[in-house]
Amino acid sequence: MTLCVDVVIIGAGPAGMSASNMIHEYGGRAVILDEQSEPGGQIYKAIDRVMRDRPNELSWLGSAYHDGARLTKKFRSQAKDYQPGSMVWHIECRNLDGLYNIFYSQAGVSKKIETKYIVIATGAMERPVPIPGWTLPGVMTVGAVQSVLKNSGMYPSGKLVLAGAGPLVLQLASQLIGAGISILAILDTSPKGSFLKALRHFPRALFAGDYLYKGWNLTNKIMQSNIKVYRNVTELNASGDGRLQNLSFKVNETKHCLKADTLALHEGILPNVQLTRLLDLEHVWSPRQRSFSPVVNSWGETSLSGVFVVGDGAGVSGARTAEYSGAIAGIIILERLEYIKESQRDLIIEDRKFRRLLDEGIRPFLDTLFPAPERIGEVPDKTIICRCEEITAAEIREVVKKGCSGPNQAKAFLRCGMGICQGRMCGTSVTEVMSKALEKKPADVGAFRVRPPIKPLSLEEIVTLNDN
Amino acid sequence: MTSDFIVIGGGLVGAAVSYGLLKLGATVTILDEGDTAFRASRGNFGLVWVQSKGDGMHEYATWSRESSDLWPNFAELLVEETGINVGHHRPGGLELCLDEAEYMDFENSINRMHNQPNVAENGRRMISGDEVRRMEPSVGPEVVGASYCPYDGIVNPLYTLRALHQKCIESGLIYRPDHEVKKIIPQIRGFKIITNEGYFLSDKVILAAGNGNKALGEFVGLDIPTGPERGHIVVTERTSPLFNYVLGAIRQTDEGTVMLGATKENVGFDSGFNFEMAAKIIDKAVRKIPALKKLRMIRSWSALRIMSPDGFPIYEESSNFPGAFVITCHSGVTLAAAHALKLAPELLGNDFNGKFNAFSPKRFDVR
Repeated sequence: MTLCVDVVIIGAGPAGMSASNMIHEYGGRAVILDEQSEPGGQIYKAIDRVMRDRPNELSWLGSAYHDGARLTKKFRSQAKDYQPGSMVWHIECRNLDGLYNIFYSQAGVSKKIETKYIVIATGAMERPVPIPGWTLPGVMTVGAVQSVLKNSGMYPSGKLVLAGAGPLVLQLASQLIGAGISILAILDTSPKGSFLKALRHFPRALFAGDYLYKGWNLTNKIMQSNIKVYRNVTELNASGDGRLQNLSFKVNETKHCLKADTLALHEGILPNVQLTRLLDLEHVWSPRQRSFSPVVNSWGETSLSGVFVVGDGAGVSGARTAEYSGAIAGIIILERLEYIKESQRDLIIEDRKFRRLLDEGIRPFLDTLFPAPERIGEVPDKTIICRCEEITAAEIREVVKKGCSGPNQAKAFLRCGMGICQGRMCGTSVTEVMSKALEKKPADVGAFRVRPPIKPLSLEEIVTLNDN
Repeated sequence: MTSDFIVIGGGLVGAAVSYGLLKLGATVTILDEGDTAFRASRGNFGLVWVQSKGDGMHEYATWSRESSDLWPNFAELLVEETGINVGHHRPGGLELCLDEAEYMDFENSINRMHNQPNVAENGRRMISGDEVRRMEPSVGPEVVGASYCPYDGIVNPLYTLRALHQKCIESGLIYRPDHEVKKIIPQIRGFKIITNEGYFLSDKVILAAGNGNKALGEFVGLDIPTGPERGHIVVTERTSPLFNYVLGAIRQTDEGTVMLGATKENVGFDSGFNFEMAAKIIDKAVRKIPALKKLRMIRSWSALRIMSPDGFPIYEESSNFPGAFVITCHSGVTLAAAHALKLAPELLGNDFNGKFNAFSPKRFDVR
């Protein structure tokens, strides 16, 4: 028997929790499916556990992180149908009755739910940053280091180097400094002059002044530490015998070398579009964030009626904007399900939209200060783009020369994107490399088509699906 | 832009025919659609299959067998010419039966094909469940028997397509992706092909556009009664080599992934994914090979076959507009070798319809 519900929210980060909180506040009910074992998403990962078991670490994990507890507390007390450890692997759109089937896996058993509304709040993932040698053990991402730090308080031993650009680099650096973990160097890859360019957006950013204040504090903390910071870094290479040992890079045409055990890379984050691509929703390319995101209207609804995308999954704009967007989608659904009146809906929406507008003021400033890298399309030939199938940039460029016109044809010709990660790690890079090689805009190059399951699962699980 | 041949469609059929034409010194332009077109050549299973082909048309049985025999040399030729190993193997194929009814169906098909006149001996025979398990130890207890044919094989269809494209381009092919053909205008001599990116001229035009042929045929007096039939395929993660034979709807690739097929649905031009179909495929596959249960599924897709009313290929030169040909089939992989090496030369000859009389769409008029 299939469970039939009004609303399914996918993801329990700020956007998903906020949608749930809003819906439950006015007497509605929603099932929340989240891959993790506790609410918080990536940004507030393990917040409840840290508060309970390691409260002294809160001081250096920062106030932005601590803020998540406000959401999780309300969420836990209201969301009776919260299903942690649930991995959604397929959504089926039933055109006849306007319902959706959601397939998900929980502890190795797959189930199906039928629902009228879907709120996709699956957030963002770190932009994969292909550089020569990035597949060596010892090379990871800033987000991964931070995630382990939040989850278990553990950190990489040995010589640690952070490389890239973005608020997350500053945040992790400050957290590591706070925890007394040493960082050998920070390689800042933002291009020269970014700060001056960003100043143009400074007045609007003042509406979200607390971010500026926090950013200033983070930067100060790093300046006051004795960490060596290299600016305008280009041509970063990782190498080593079986694992990371050496880093080389250029600063204004001067070559530098460093010995390192761990390199944490970061070049911003991208909307997680697996589910929205699976649903074949319309997507647009953002030249500023250099990523695709689904097209949504001001309350988060997509080209498919009843399907909402909220939070960073609809275009990266941070945890607080995500929270407002989640609440707005929640209130729209409440009204459609007739829990509240239209007038009541509009009041709440206007309030959240106003607050969201102020909060979003920081985006143009941040996106210009830490611009999304334009060089991924130009990585050296030997750089591996598809890690699963070990396909290099050179191979992709070669098939383009032979008339290959897009990512799906490249996938067919090279197995690029066919591996176990299902194209999540190489999708954007393939679009970037092909865009440069074809001299076409990324929007016109397109992206991999996504087919179920969006995460691997055993055949046995599918065979037994109908028994559950 | 003028060439001897314009081939509409850059899939396995169009690329194989172009390969053959270029070898014979013709100039060829391929007009192809974009990255997200309905592409049967990108969605197929990769069997070079003989055993079930031609039940009802002995010429097709013979043609499939001929192609299967050409394939080993063809594959070698492609490696030599392009460095791409297309992964051709001919270990023989087993169609596993899960019940007596299925067994009977295969047995009846073998008898019918034997009774057709002039059909090439294809060595196909029914074998018992126990014999199957001796040949292929991973086969489970539910399997009651199988239809076996020693000439069945496999190839990587994607690498084949890539190798054909590469060799064609090196031989002077003009390849134009993102060129959707809007109209074909027969000229006093030759054809004018209008695309979204301008027009092209040629002496001869070949329709190899799969399910797009039907509409294109109307411009050159060809009635092509084909329609889409949707099939699903499921792919697992990589694993160590599992099989001695090709198991019809279960095939392991050289890379180690296992492909599971195949379903048939008539849903029009919709290559969407139907979960029920994938579940059916997987259910059958794990009953046949229980060890598959533990593997993880990593991808699946559906694609549209190009089906004629009787399932056999359609080859025809237009009698109203000589020089316009249609070549369509749902076995672009099996027949790639025959299309490249046997069919292409006939396009340069004077008696195409005589050579391929059996495959004329006129066969549908009689019924």
